Amino acid sequence: MRIEMLRTFLAVGLCISAGTFLAAAVTAGDTSARARKLHFSSLVVDTHDDTTQRLLDGKFDLGARSSTGSIDVPRMREGNLGAIFFSIWIPSKITGPEAVHRAMLQIDAVREQIRRHPKDLVLATTAAEVREAHKQRKIAALLGVEGGHMINSNLGVLRSYAALGVRYMTLTHSGNDEWADSSTDKAVHHGLTDFGKDVVREMNRLGMMVDISHVSDKTFCDALETSKAPLIASHSSCRAICDARRNMTDEMIRDLAAKGGIVQINYHVGFLSQEFRNAEKAHPEWEQAIAAEIKQRCGDNEGRQLIEGDRITREYVEQGKLPRVEWTKIIEHVDHAVKVAGIDHVGLGSDFDGANMPYGMEDATKLPKITEALLQKGYSEGDARKILGENTLRVMTEVEGVSRKLNAGK
Amino acid sequence: MRRLLACLCVCSCLCAGLLFSHRASADDLAERAKKLHFSSIVLDTHDDTTQRFFSKTYDLGKRNPDGHVDIPRMREGGMNAIFFSIWIDGRIMGPPAVQKALDQIDAVHENVRKYSKALVFCRTAAEVREAHTQGKIAALVGVEGGHMIGNDIRVLRMFGDLGVRYMTLSHFYNDEWADSSTAKPVHNGLTDFGKDIVREMNRQGIMVDISHVSDKTFYDALEVSKAPLIASHSSCRAISNHKRNMTDQMIKDLAAKGGVIQINYHLPFLSQEFNDAQTALEGDIVKSSQKRAKKCGDDPECVALEQDRKTRKLISQGKLPHVSWEKIIEHIDHAIKLVGPDHVGLGSDFDGASMPDGMEDCSKLPKITEALMRRGYSDDDIRKIIGGNTLRVMEQTEQISRELQAQ
Repeated sequence: MRIEMLRTFLAVGLCISAGTFLAAAVTAGDTSARARKLHFSSLVVDTHDDTTQRLLDGKFDLGARSSTGSIDVPRMREGNLGAIFFSIWIPSKITGPEAVHRAMLQIDAVREQIRRHPKDLVLATTAAEVREAHKQRKIAALLGVEGGHMINSNLGVLRSYAALGVRYMTLTHSGNDEWADSSTDKAVHHGLTDFGKDVVREMNRLGMMVDISHVSDKTFCDALETSKAPLIASHSSCRAICDARRNMTDEMIRDLAAKGGIVQINYHVGFLSQEFRNAEKAHPEWEQAIAAEIKQRCGDNEGRQLIEGDRITREYVEQGKLPRVEWTKIIEHVDHAVKVAGIDHVGLGSDFDGANMPYGMEDATKLPKITEALLQKGYSEGDARKILGENTLRVMTEVEGVSRKLNAGK
Repeated sequence: MRRLLACLCVCSCLCAGLLFSHRASADDLAERAKKLHFSSIVLDTHDDTTQRFFSKTYDLGKRNPDGHVDIPRMREGGMNAIFFSIWIDGRIMGPPAVQKALDQIDAVHENVRKYSKALVFCRTAAEVREAHTQGKIAALVGVEGGHMIGNDIRVLRMFGDLGVRYMTLSHFYNDEWADSSTAKPVHNGLTDFGKDIVREMNRQGIMVDISHVSDKTFYDALEVSKAPLIASHSSCRAISNHKRNMTDQMIKDLAAKGGVIQINYHLPFLSQEFNDAQTALEGDIVKSSQKRAKKCGDDPECVALEQDRKTRKLISQGKLPHVSWEKIIEHIDHAIKLVGPDHVGLGSDFDGASMPDGMEDCSKLPKITEALMRRGYSDDDIRKIIGGNTLRVMEQTEQISRELQAQ
């Protein structure tokens, strides 16, 4: 009996030791394989990509691998980006019918690419359609309008966008629009106007996600109060780490999460790193010089401006003028937001092709590194999947449910 | 004797039968026509009712004391498929034109949503047939004038994606790429870009509508288009010599490529006598439309209804002649004699034109079916005329779109 006990004890001990050893070995050597397996079996969703701008000049083809920028079909395949929100964006200063016309052209540009690459892309307007696309090994293409100025203060235009497949609208861009204050403009509406609240309500009814990236803190509060569906911050990071107005305070992240919403972390170095931000601030003349150089290289071609901006900023980093920011900073923000709001309220909103990317996250092919880093931080596979895309899909599903209810109940 | 009796008996039976059948046919025809009408898809390719959606008093769901179309009257007249026309003045162009067109497309969608028990938005012939099966009215959208795409092929595609299923290449004025029948030609028909527009319409499955366009634009479109064309609301020039109508040769050429002319009920297009009298009194069609636009200002409903209102007044004052609704049948009959029963349909222009006596609104439509039956048309032919032909062109257009997109 004793011997038996001893034997059992020894056996258990051995097993535990072996287990520990094995676990250590996995951590040290095989994480990559495990991460790859996880990453490539997950539905990875990115809620904000400015690639649309590149589609406008007619030369860029989403189906071919490009030597510049961050997004195209081959690279999305390589990085297993399964669902992408193409951002419809024009500068805030363009308003009225002109803004509507130009937004339409961008929606068309995305839909044309989908028509031209039916084997790789499919337009998705619901979470179920995203999952179905994934099943068919296609990339789900979705549409988000980045700025309320594009509806020309007209709910009919908003509805037309919804009918064309737009599934979120950012209430403002960097300037105030007619009915909402932006975080990077002087407040004039004190948040949302009454019409702005009607816009939010109509978005709820249409099943269009309300995006509070870019908006002022007060607009965020008003939207949160008005919306019957959870909000998203399609491409914002944490102000506690990098004090940019475009980022969210911990309290905002908590409030957003309390109503079921989600913050999709933006990879822009100016939003990721305080150090980078400080350096930029210390030398406003560099910012001006960069802007001038972009203008000189690209003229009014907004798609090229965005890509060149990233390249020129890198030149400043290489010259030692601006600090080098590593991709791991993204994980720091993800981790911080999870600690503040919980695992169900964080996602990815890269801002690819519209921002300055950190080292190691140059394009969509690098995305598996995020999964690897999350596992290394000790996130479970289920939790990693949530961050990679499932949280965003959950919010989409909830928003669709609210829309159905509002349409049925009046 | 027996034989004689039998013979007499047969004879008298035959006589009685003949007499009976003759009486029965007179009584039954109206009933048979009614039955045929109310079991058919009755499709009208052109209604300007959309303009009324912006008025505070008009309600699509209720019987309105004026105008020609609302749900109760559509039900009464058995009109169960309707193209709501998107129209703005042809002098408005660029982004403002796009914006206004979008407003109207949205207004159609919103009305369909508001009256979703009666209406269903349709994009294909199959959807129209399905709506009919479910006892609903199929709502479709056509854009009346190429000026609304802001000279931009991408806007055309957006309209297609929003459910637009035909576009009239021009309205009263030339647009940037096509000549109108009622303006001085500047493009000699379609420009190269205009031809690209037609090709893109084929690709998107949007029917090419040649009502309103100049004769040369019509022939250019006919040559370029891979799909049959429609003339969504035009009548026969041989009966009323108006530029908005089609010559016999044009109707033949349209039909030879599978197209359909949908007869317009507008008085001056129906009757030469009326057209002459009205032109003498009010000047040409574009001038009188400009006067109306001036009078109505920004009120689109006024623009839509003022014409009928004013014309009725002039008729009642004896300044313009009365025209009977049977003139519509004359046009249908004429077109069929030219090209057979597969190429004629109905494109009333309700709520945008002045109607003949007896066709005051869409509740009167069963009269058309009855009149066609009296003229001896078969049930099958009548079904084609009142809707089937247009559905066939829709199907052909969809098929060609699929083929082009697969390339």
